[in-house]
Amino acid sequence: MSDTTEPNLIAVVRKALGRDQPISTVPIPPAIDESIARLVDTGADLRPLFLQNAAEAKFHIDLVNHENLPEKLAAFLKSQNCQLVGMSISPLLEKLDLKESLKSRDIDLKTWDELTLDVAYELDCGITDVWAAVAETASLAILPDTKHGRALSLFPPIHIAIVEPKNLVADLLDLTRKMSAIQPPPQITLITGPSKTADIEGSLVTGVHGPGFVQIFFLE
Amino acid sequence: MPETAEKFNFNELSEKALGDKRLMLAVASNTQRQYDGRQQRMAELPNPDALRELAGQIKQHTLDNLDFYLQQLVDSVRRNGGHVHFASTGDDARRIILNIAKKAGCKRIIKSKSMVSEEIELAHFLESAGLDLVETDLGEFIVQISHDKPSHLVAPIMHKDRASIARLFSEYFHTPYNDDPESLTKQARAFLRDKFRHADLGMTGANFLIAQTGQVCVVENEGNARQSITTPRVLVSLVGIEKIIPRLDDLAVMLKLLARSATGQPMTIYTNIFGAPRQSGEKDGSEEFHLVLLDNGRTEILADEEYRETLRCIRCGACLNACPVYRKIGGHAYGSVYPGPIGALITPLFKGLGTFKDLPQASSLCGACYEACPVKINIPKHLINMRRDIVRQHLNGRLERMFYRLWAWGMRSPFLYGLIGSLQKFDLRRRAKKTGWIQKLPMAASGWTQVRDMPPPARKTFHQLWKDRN
Repeated sequence: MSDTTEPNLIAVVRKALGRDQPISTVPIPPAIDESIARLVDTGADLRPLFLQNAAEAKFHIDLVNHENLPEKLAAFLKSQNCQLVGMSISPLLEKLDLKESLKSRDIDLKTWDELTLDVAYELDCGITDVWAAVAETASLAILPDTKHGRALSLFPPIHIAIVEPKNLVADLLDLTRKMSAIQPPPQITLITGPSKTADIEGSLVTGVHGPGFVQIFFLE
Repeated sequence: MPETAEKFNFNELSEKALGDKRLMLAVASNTQRQYDGRQQRMAELPNPDALRELAGQIKQHTLDNLDFYLQQLVDSVRRNGGHVHFASTGDDARRIILNIAKKAGCKRIIKSKSMVSEEIELAHFLESAGLDLVETDLGEFIVQISHDKPSHLVAPIMHKDRASIARLFSEYFHTPYNDDPESLTKQARAFLRDKFRHADLGMTGANFLIAQTGQVCVVENEGNARQSITTPRVLVSLVGIEKIIPRLDDLAVMLKLLARSATGQPMTIYTNIFGAPRQSGEKDGSEEFHLVLLDNGRTEILADEEYRETLRCIRCGACLNACPVYRKIGGHAYGSVYPGPIGALITPLFKGLGTFKDLPQASSLCGACYEACPVKINIPKHLINMRRDIVRQHLNGRLERMFYRLWAWGMRSPFLYGLIGSLQKFDLRRRAKKTGWIQKLPMAASGWTQVRDMPPPARKTFHQLWKDRN
């Protein structure tokens, strides 16, 4: 279909630029001057900066450690009346061994391999880890794969993200560099707060099509 | 592109807008809020002007080498397992997308906000082809069910108030009238969630295409674009060829400017970077990915070295919010999906200066748009150049041309200049005799005195005063 016209269109662009041959040398994009483009130095103390920006981005934040996280998580889910909860599969989340402790509180926890997309629409909450967290903007980078469903941080009204200090990168420039170092994945999403709109008379409403409540458990 | 047969009367449309007090208030307060937000957020950058300059250079470099980057992008997308389609015209793009849907047996489309799809009126076309298409951005959804048109690049229903939306929802959903924005949003959410769940084709535009990695970037606040790229089995992104940037690092630069310029946020809520089918064993994400690259007049602008710079635009809407003309008349008066200063520039470039010759005049050339532009498009300069083109192509009126010929004739001779000057002075001073102010002028000059009085000219001209002193 369209593929047959492809060389043609690149030729049209080339002609528009006044050339009849492909350029012989690879063009070099403008250098990115970090004194202009960088907002956070790699050497900066990222933890307080991330937490401050996360609060500004309207994330809810709780500081936790490995011992009290399961308890805090369970208490949070109970307080939000969550009954059906979905979770990504990762060594970090497996280590917490939440399933049994939540079951005793009548919370049904399903890992991503136990879920179908249809059931994912019924979730009250999704729990995920993150691929990276950007101190500059408090953006959480989610990298989906077979163990990390896209739906977990999108469909439910509540998203819980477990963030570890090792996830932190300073600046968006550091995130894009981290991304450049891997094979381009089918999708990466940066989450910078609860889903919102200001379409109606500019008044802010949270929780449109994504989670209206995002809880960060910052694990130290 | 061929000149469209479209009728466009800027005076009529802008006068209609100026007569709508509610519209003026809505647009004025919304643009002011976004303008203030941008000012505040840009100030957080270490050197905002230098960053705008860098972003402009990145876009300009890409445009100047677009053949190379286009080829690189196509290779990268294919390497990742995506399909690439080229569309020379809007018609090509519409057909290509319909074919993709037909071939994959898709019937239910969820579409996220995209200016380029407005440009080629894609939604309307697919609906008439019998597909169930729903706009999923709240603003665009409201535009769709009210058969309206977006009036702003970022905030499509800036011109609507909550009462009109409440009436619309009450009628559409058969529910009691409720004008609370939160309730209205909940209603739309519930309706659209069902659509997400059962959709088989997702559609997006793009803010950026990254040539090196073959990825598409779409930013948003609601999560509907995320739904479009997550649930349906087929994903189609329709994008203009000018959206390409070379590398992921360039994306970081652009992201620092885009949301700040558009809505005064450091980042939008969701930044979606995608462009490949799901990997084996994945439960969500599309099984097929199609990138449709659109020309539709862009290569003609690219060929014009003077106007090529206008293709840098990242559709943030900052120039609209800053423009004293847009702030008064809103978006519909521009007669195109691209309103405001950038629209006044690219609409004539896309659709022909003949029909849209009023648009380059719809500016006071104050420069607020240039100051706001995150990629430093010199909009006032181009508007002046376009006014020059209007004169060169004899698109201005016969009377105007005659007037300027007369004026040039008078200005060339000191004697005629003095004579006409004294006659004019005599007439104006006579008109101001009664009250000390000129309150009424004839013909073309009447517009001035309709809304304000004018003081009479001095008794002696500057030339006379100068002579007397020496």
